[in-house]
Order: sequence, then structure tokens, then C-alpha cells
Amino acid sequence: MPEIPTLGQLTLLVAAVAMFVAAEAFSLLRLRGSERHRIAAKAFLYWGITFALGVLIWHSVRRGTWRPLQDNFDALVWLALLLALFVAYTQRVHPLRGLDWFILPIVGGLLIAAAVFGRAEPHEYLGTVWSSIHLVSAFGGTAAFAVAAAVGAMYLVVDRRLRTKRPALFGSLERLEHFTRVSVGLGFPLLTVGLITGFVLAFDTHGSSNSAPPWYEIPKVWLAFAAWLVYALVLHAPINPVFRGRRAAMLSVVGFVLLLGTLVALQFTPGGPR
Amino acid sequence: MQRLLLLGLNHTTAPLEVRERLAFSATARQSAFEQFKQRFPASEMVILSTCNRIELYAARPVHEHPTPSELVEFLATSHALSPAEVEPHLYRKTNRDVVEHLFSVSSSLDSMVLGETQILGQVREAYEAASRQQMTGTSLNPLFQRALGVGKQIMHETPLAEGRVSVASVAVDYARQIFERFDDKTVLCVGGGKMAALVLQAFVALSPGSLLICNRSPDRAQSLATKFNGKPAPFEQLVDHLVAADIVVTSTGAEQPIISRTQFEAILKRRRYRPIFIIDIAFPRDVEPAVGELSHVYLYNLDDLQSVVLNTRSQRQDAFLSARQIVLRQVEEYALWHRQRELGPTIQRLYERYHALAQDELNRTLNKLPNISAAERSHLDELARRIVNKLLHDPIHTLRNADAGHGPNIQYVHALEKLFQLGDSSMAPSPGTPGEGWGEGDSGDQQRATFDNTLTPAPPALSPSTGRGGKAPELPKPSLSPATSRDESPAEPQPLPPEDVKG
Repeated sequence: MPEIPTLGQLTLLVAAVAMFVAAEAFSLLRLRGSERHRIAAKAFLYWGITFALGVLIWHSVRRGTWRPLQDNFDALVWLALLLALFVAYTQRVHPLRGLDWFILPIVGGLLIAAAVFGRAEPHEYLGTVWSSIHLVSAFGGTAAFAVAAAVGAMYLVVDRRLRTKRPALFGSLERLEHFTRVSVGLGFPLLTVGLITGFVLAFDTHGSSNSAPPWYEIPKVWLAFAAWLVYALVLHAPINPVFRGRRAAMLSVVGFVLLLGTLVALQFTPGGPR
Repeated sequence: MQRLLLLGLNHTTAPLEVRERLAFSATARQSAFEQFKQRFPASEMVILSTCNRIELYAARPVHEHPTPSELVEFLATSHALSPAEVEPHLYRKTNRDVVEHLFSVSSSLDSMVLGETQILGQVREAYEAASRQQMTGTSLNPLFQRALGVGKQIMHETPLAEGRVSVASVAVDYARQIFERFDDKTVLCVGGGKMAALVLQAFVALSPGSLLICNRSPDRAQSLATKFNGKPAPFEQLVDHLVAADIVVTSTGAEQPIISRTQFEAILKRRRYRPIFIIDIAFPRDVEPAVGELSHVYLYNLDDLQSVVLNTRSQRQDAFLSARQIVLRQVEEYALWHRQRELGPTIQRLYERYHALAQDELNRTLNKLPNISAAERSHLDELARRIVNKLLHDPIHTLRNADAGHGPNIQYVHALEKLFQLGDSSMAPSPGTPGEGWGEGDSGDQQRATFDNTLTPAPPALSPSTGRGGKAPELPKPSLSPATSRDESPAEPQPLPPEDVKG
């Protein structure tokens, strides 16, 4: 199995990124109120999703298995695709103006990361129940937190605009806060499960390989734990409302930055669980 | 001869803080009237004080006071300020410009919210308050009556009042950007007043979970609560109401803020840091500006909301232009009416003098014709009268219907009196007499009087019931049709319509 994606896959990936960039640009142009821009933004979003899906299909065919999240490249593209699908779904069912402005850059960033850092080398701990649960929960949680971070950023922008007596561009603060709370509420259990299974895998890997560093020396573990603490604070808001509003929004962004850190750490951690 | 002066500041020249300091409450206005009357007994004054403008309209005889600088000093000292402090925010207008400005104000063309009807009521209230204090007379009575007429006409005949973006609708828009739903929200109204009622009405349309009306007067609270299907709330428990509220509309007449930052900081925790939207439409403000710096608090005052409204003006240019045309036409009509009124006494004297001369000559001739019959005498009377009327018709017609925008009126009057030896020139000073302009005694402001910038004197008899200037003259009703000239018939020796000679 080759360790890097093929040139064809990368080309398709770049095309998907270009589509998402175009979708973002036309979505921003909607500020001028043109219906044509809205349609163009939607069309480019769907094309981007199609291309990303094409990359995954190609990758699965080449790999010989349809099981998702088998390697870093696959996982990053899946994460990007999940977010893009979420945007498409939300904008169709419960439109939230500006959501794509914040999520599509994350999608593009993940796809670029997949192209640059993504390795097609399968995770070495694959095949166990623990690893499957870990992968699904960790990436599902990350997707939920990406949404929470995007909506948190939107909250901060709206809050800032309202304080400077300018009309908000996005939904109401109340809706954005609700969105953040639901996203974190979904992501937190997933991250918790991912963290627990990750610990199990870390102990297991450490036990089975002399070359693997102990779990407490793995940055990813600490970053993931820090993110978990941050989201615990956000979820704490209903009990201690001091963490609501702007603070919750800021914490959502901070938590996601920490999770991105775990993804980066994943790429550069020599050996050990990824 | 009267001169019109206007000294004022509005939302475009002065920030809210300055307007708050210079505003006149009802008591302050009464006291200002008394002081003005003492200092300038021969002058008239109306004070228009709203949340967006403070304007002093004055009329004085040409050689009298107040001068513009005295008016500035009067405004400043009425609020314990120095003239230098208020000067940078002021605008001044004279005579015809005053008329145009007042007509624009009463038509809401000078308002932040184009087409708002509240200003018309405020102009009326300001005029009536001055009238009650006998501060208005022959200059300000017709001016304000016409201004109210123009304001009404524009509201009825132009689309200016349609589709206007109001402060209330902007407040609701902002509330929608903070809250997603309102059926679980509490709206608290502190105080009352027309503007608060309008804003409250807009929020009631959102069907809030509960509506609390908090007023110092329990009766007023009950009345508003009944009107809007809310609950009256004791004013003494305002802090508790603030804990419960999500949206607060405050509009009391308090001179000092009733909600301070310290007070609000203390209740943030009790509120469990829920967002709160405070709309402070009181003037002066009810809520300390520092409250808006607290997290979870979104504080908007009148200027904040009105600045949004202002942005919608450009979308309503057509309505604005048609209203503006009406205002300009009405200013022309008013100027024409004024000129005719001004010339009236002089023209009347002219007719009387020449009819008397003709009668003398006729009598002399009749004395030489002893056998003349009554019918023949009547024919000769008619002949003399017609000759005088024919001779005077053209110059007087030209004089009355000269272009309102041109010609020094005072010079015409003076020339008429000199040329025809009408005798009484005390009414009109010589053209170019020093001190006849707006800046009398104030060289920086001196302007030359113009035909339309000179107003006629008050009638000799003052009616105690209508203030200093006696009965207000009857003005022709504002109409969209161009001003029609009053073309007196040569067969009618008394050419002035009744309203023209009432003065």
C-alpha cells in the first residue's frame, strides 16, 4: 500500500478545494443581495462535495476496502466531507446565514491538510473494536466541535456588531448560542468516548511495542484532554451561567483549536497511536 | 417691521450629550419664557425642544433686541453654560430661511425619520405653550399656523409617511438579532410617553411571554397595562423587574439616569447572565451609558436607533423630493402673502389719498355746475373713482405680484411713500439703515434686509386673549396650486382682502 495519495486523487482534491473556495466567495458576494450569487454558491458547494466524495471513492477502490477512517488522508477528507454535508443540510433545512462563511474555510483547510500531510498508510492499531469506536467517536466529536467553533465565531462577530450598534449579519445570538450548545452537547460524549478508547489504545500500544513512547509523552493525548476540559466548561454553562454567551463562544473556538492541535500532533507523532 | 430669527441645534449638529444638556423641560421652558419677556418685552419667542432638536424661534422689531449673540447667550445661560460651550453646535437662520426651516421641520423633512408624524404634534405643542404664555404675536402666530398646515398637507398628500422605517421597527429588528423567540421573554416598559408606547406596541406584536409596565404613577401604569394587555409593576421594585426582564424599554422624564452601572452589575448574577436588550429612548437618558459596556447587556439609545433609520432615507428620495417641492411652494406663498400684508397699509393710504384728491376736484367742478342732476352727479363720481383706480392699478398690481425672491420690499414701501407723499414713513426705516439686519449690534452677522426678509408690524390694537400680537391673521389654506395673485378690481376702491388687513 503506497504511503501517499496518487496524483489523480490530489488533483481531484485540489478541484474540491477550488469548488469550496468558489462557494465561499459567492456566498460572501451574497451580501450584495444577488440571487444568482446564492445559486452559484450552492452549486459550487455541491460540486465540492461531489469531488471530495470522488476522492474518497477513488481512495477506497485503490485501497480495496470501503471501511472509512482507515488512514489519516481518508480521515481528514471524511471530516471535511462531513462538515460540507452539514453545511448543505443546514442551509437547506434550517438556513443559518453565514454558517458556510465559517465552516467552508475549515473544510478547505482540512482538505489542504489531507493533501499536504495526509498519509495513506493505514493506522497500525486498526482492526480492533476499540480502534473503530475510537476513530468514529473522535472524528464525529471533532466534526461537531468544528461546527461549534464556527458558530462560536459567528456569535463573537454578531456580539461585536451589536455592541458597535451595527446590524448583525447572521442569526440571532440566542440561536447561535443554542447551536453551539447542541454541537458541544453532541461532540462532548463522542470526545469522551474517543478519549477513553484512546487511553485504552495508548496503554495497549505501549504494552505491545517497545518503540512506542508512554502515553503521557504523547502530545495528542494532552491536547485532547485539554480540549475535553474546555468543552466540559462550555457544557457547564447551564449550571454556572458565567460560561454562557461570549465566554462559551470563545471556549468553543479555543477547544477546536486544541483539537486541530491533536490532528497536527497526529501527523508528527513518531509511532504510537494516531 | 419685524425680523425673524432662529437659533438651534439638532441631531446633525450636536451629539446626544449636548442636546440633553440644552433641552428644555416644561418647567424650564416656562421659566425661559419669563426671562425672555423680562429682557426683550417687544419680542416674540417659541421654544421647540424635542429629543432631536432644540430651537428658539424669535421675532423682534428691526431696531430691537435680542441680537443673535444675545440669543446665544440666552440659550446658554438658561442651562448654566457659557456661550462658547454651545456656539459650535448651533445654526442660525433669519427671516425667509426661518420660514423654510420651520416648514421643513413640521413636515418631518428635517427629521431623522422621514415621514414621522410626531414632530407635527411637537411643533404644535411648542407653539401652544408659547401662545399660552403670550409669547407669540403677529409674526410667529401666522408662521406657526402655516407651518402646521404645511406639515398636515405633506402627511396627507405625499407618500412620505408610507413605509417609513421607525425607531420602533428598528428596535424590534435589533431585538430579533439578539433573541430568536419572544414567547418566553419578558418585556419591561419603564415610564411612558408616546414614543415608548409606539415601541411597546411594536414589541407587543411579537407576542412576548409577559409584559410589565413600570411607572411612577400607578394609574398610568394601569392604563398602559390595560392598553397592551400587560401587568402593572411597582416602580419601587424596578431592580427586581430588571432581573426578570429580557427587553427593557425605558422612557421616563427623569433628569438623572435611573439605572446605573453599579446597580446593573449587582443584578447580572441574579439574572444568570441572560442577555438583556435595553432601549433607552428617554431624553435625557435613563440608563448610564456605562451599562452598555457590561457583558450580556445590549444598550441602545435614541441616537443609535435613529442612525439606522437615517440610512433608510436614501431609499425614499422620491417621496422626499415631492414633499420638498411642496415646502418650497408653500414658502413662496407665505412670502407672497407676507409681502402683500406688508404693503397693505401703504396701498390703502395711497388709495385713500388719491380718492380724496379726486373727490376734492370733483366737488370743485360740481360747485361750478349747479344744474346737474343726481344721475349725472353719480356718473361723474363713478368717473373720478374709475380714473383713480385705473391709474393706480398697474403699479400696485406689479408691486404686489413681483417675484417673491427679488426686490427689496422695504425700498419699495419707502419709495412709494416718498413719491406719493403718503406721509407716514415711521413704519419703514430707510433702506440700508444700519442695524436693520439680523446682526444688529453684531457686525459679524449683519445682513442686508431683502424684500422677503422684512416683515410687517403688529396691528395697533392687541387682543389680550391672543398674546402680544393680537388676533392671529387668517392665512390662506396651504394648497398645491401655485399662489394666485390678488388682482383687485379697478371698480373696488378697497382692494385688500379681509385677511390681509387684519395684520
